[in-house]
Amino acid sequence: MIPDELEKKNRPPELDLCAYPSKSIILASEERMVVRQCERKEVGALLEAVFPLIQVKTHYYDLVAARMAAELLGWYHYRIANLFALAGVIDGEIAGLVTSRLVDEKLGMSLHTIAIRRGLRVGAHLFAAKMEHHFDFLKQEEVWVIVESPVGLKRLMIEYALLDRAAEYPAIRHESGGVPTHVLTRENYEAARERMVAGARPLDAALAESAAILRPPAAYPQIPGYTRI
Amino acid sequence: MSGENAINFEHYGEPEHHVYALICPKCGKRFYPSVLICDVCHTRRNPFASAGNAPPEWEKEILEGPCTLLSWTRVFALPEGFTVKSLDFCIVEFPNKLRASGRLEAENPEIGMPLIAHVEIVNEKVNMDHYGFIFSRENYN
Amino acid sequence: MRKVCVVGIGHTVFGNLHHLDLVDLMGHASLNALEDAGVLAERREIVDQVFVANMGAGRVNIQSAIASALVSRIGLESCMAEAVENGPASGASAVKLGVMAIKSGMADAVLVTGGEMMNAVTRWISTDFVASMLHHEAEYAYGMTLPSLAALFTRLYMQRYGVTERDLALIAVKSHENAAKNPYAHLKTPCTLEAICESDGADHANPIIADPLRLYGICPVSDGAASLLLCAEDSPKMRHFTKPPVTISGIASATDTHCVHLRADPLILDAVRLAAERAYTMAGLTPRDISFAELHDAFVILELAIAEEAGFFERGTAHLALRRDETRVNGRLPINTSGGLKAKGHPLGATGVSQIYELVKQLRGQAEPERRVRDPKHGMAVNFGGFGNNVVVTICSR
Repeated sequence: MIPDELEKKNRPPELDLCAYPSKSIILASEERMVVRQCERKEVGALLEAVFPLIQVKTHYYDLVAARMAAELLGWYHYRIANLFALAGVIDGEIAGLVTSRLVDEKLGMSLHTIAIRRGLRVGAHLFAAKMEHHFDFLKQEEVWVIVESPVGLKRLMIEYALLDRAAEYPAIRHESGGVPTHVLTRENYEAARERMVAGARPLDAALAESAAILRPPAAYPQIPGYTRI
Repeated sequence: MSGENAINFEHYGEPEHHVYALICPKCGKRFYPSVLICDVCHTRRNPFASAGNAPPEWEKEILEGPCTLLSWTRVFALPEGFTVKSLDFCIVEFPNKLRASGRLEAENPEIGMPLIAHVEIVNEKVNMDHYGFIFSRENYN
Repeated sequence: MRKVCVVGIGHTVFGNLHHLDLVDLMGHASLNALEDAGVLAERREIVDQVFVANMGAGRVNIQSAIASALVSRIGLESCMAEAVENGPASGASAVKLGVMAIKSGMADAVLVTGGEMMNAVTRWISTDFVASMLHHEAEYAYGMTLPSLAALFTRLYMQRYGVTERDLALIAVKSHENAAKNPYAHLKTPCTLEAICESDGADHANPIIADPLRLYGICPVSDGAASLLLCAEDSPKMRHFTKPPVTISGIASATDTHCVHLRADPLILDAVRLAAERAYTMAGLTPRDISFAELHDAFVILELAIAEEAGFFERGTAHLALRRDETRVNGRLPINTSGGLKAKGHPLGATGVSQIYELVKQLRGQAEPERRVRDPKHGMAVNFGGFGNNVVVTICSR
């Protein structure tokens, strides 16, 4: 579709982002989770995966799912610049998602992380993959981070030594809600990389094939009795 | 002021921080941490005796200096109040055979290695700093 | 001396249940036990005494006098009721007090319910709360925790007896396998040796928490409740119960030094050995008579160390039996068929009661078929308080 002139004015200029090279992570269940970049045409499957969680009040799933859905829609409709989404995929099923974007070549804006499968460190692996993309592949200098859950924030502050830039508020404030912001610097990322970033490359053909088509989860541990209609 | 009723102003000095072993006044057995009764000769310790100006019945002996590493761990899941990524802990044995637990600050620890016990702040809280053992390879200040 | 039987058992699912109310949780398990015994409607006439096992309600849930709250929630007024706090051994301690109350003649029927709601607070606060049972001056003040002590113990144990990381992972795999078949377990996802120990990605799937203990070497923080109805075998009340009674043939406890470093040999768990010896004597049994055991594996190394202290294996050899699959469900001595604390979960006050629940379920032949022990006669539960400084051992017999 060729956008008309008004639509063209509405779309943000975008940076040319390199692709995230897919990898696989062995989970404790011995399942292989493929972490791969999502394409704009896959937004439908991603929304299907995320939407049911909007009804889950615990652990801020409702807020994070709603925000992530909005980000995915913004990406789909060309209303958010430089967004990338990574999916954790187990046997073709979406196990978790992360979204993030680049403000410019140097600064990253981490958006959201959702772990659908629980108890296998899916969320930790996907957040680490997001930071891996920002620092190792997109060569950024720092990433601004917010975490809706105070427990999640504290965990990241300890594991990644996030810097608290709350004192510089409102000069530094995250795009999501304008709340006080924490920052992951390249130096602190590199110190945490070995412990936090997992996975093997290149992806073998069978695994790549298994994750080629994204399937929304059939069940959600967060929603007992859920059945996809 | 002088005489028997003189006030003891020593409490107002800069406090020195040590960890002490207590010595049973009857049989001489050393204890760390403290107990209220000697398990050898059953001599009791009066916990009120060291309050105010009353002399303690059980002699105190500074427990510091050389010791040997018995076991160690690096812990990543720390409790509330500790915001560092990890801390190392260990059990050591002193030459007098007393053992103690505490913080380990030594690269590449190995069971059996010699260490030095110092007393430093190990838990910072407003008006409630806790001084305790830090075990390291070298003396430091 | 009167014989004491377990005549009703109740359990809730274990897991992160912080959206529920602690008293509701314990009440649900209690009513399950009364229903199992077939005396739900007659409960006021049946129950003379309630003991509630709980460690943290006063601090974590800001709920004190929890026994009174439970009695009222399930309509058991005007029975006698007290709460029991003995660290992570609170559950079996409460059962022991129930047995003592019946044997003394003060009560005929006692309801023992253990429950805990740890996830009402963050992991850091719950870790701190559990650590507060350590020696305040010589351990806790440094930031030491239960996993810290377990890690110090594990390193020494591995060095002295040649236990490997693979052995520790084997215990986790076995526990997760059993828990996956237990409808009440907290962690139902199986794990594999390859994934948590042998693959290139094992360091990330199973990261170090307290070196050398890894994530899969440590129990989860669980909420949940379990309940038992005990009755004197000679009581006229026995005619009311519908399930075959299981006898508590031995129950005893023992204590050890508060500080782990004070033990002459830090690897010797005297309280386990002494409590087990006392329980064997009371039951007139020996380790050879035990068909299966639920051991307090809050840290996987404890499955080995406790099994040795309880007399099942020579010191330093339990890992060899593990390697020979002797402790699996179909092995010579199945251990932690429920999934153990490691995978079934560890809601502190509930744990000791839940272990005995598992003994009764197995002895009745009611465990799920895939994890059912073949023809068991006697089962043992070891509930371990602190780091081995207050241990309760229970033997149940068919």
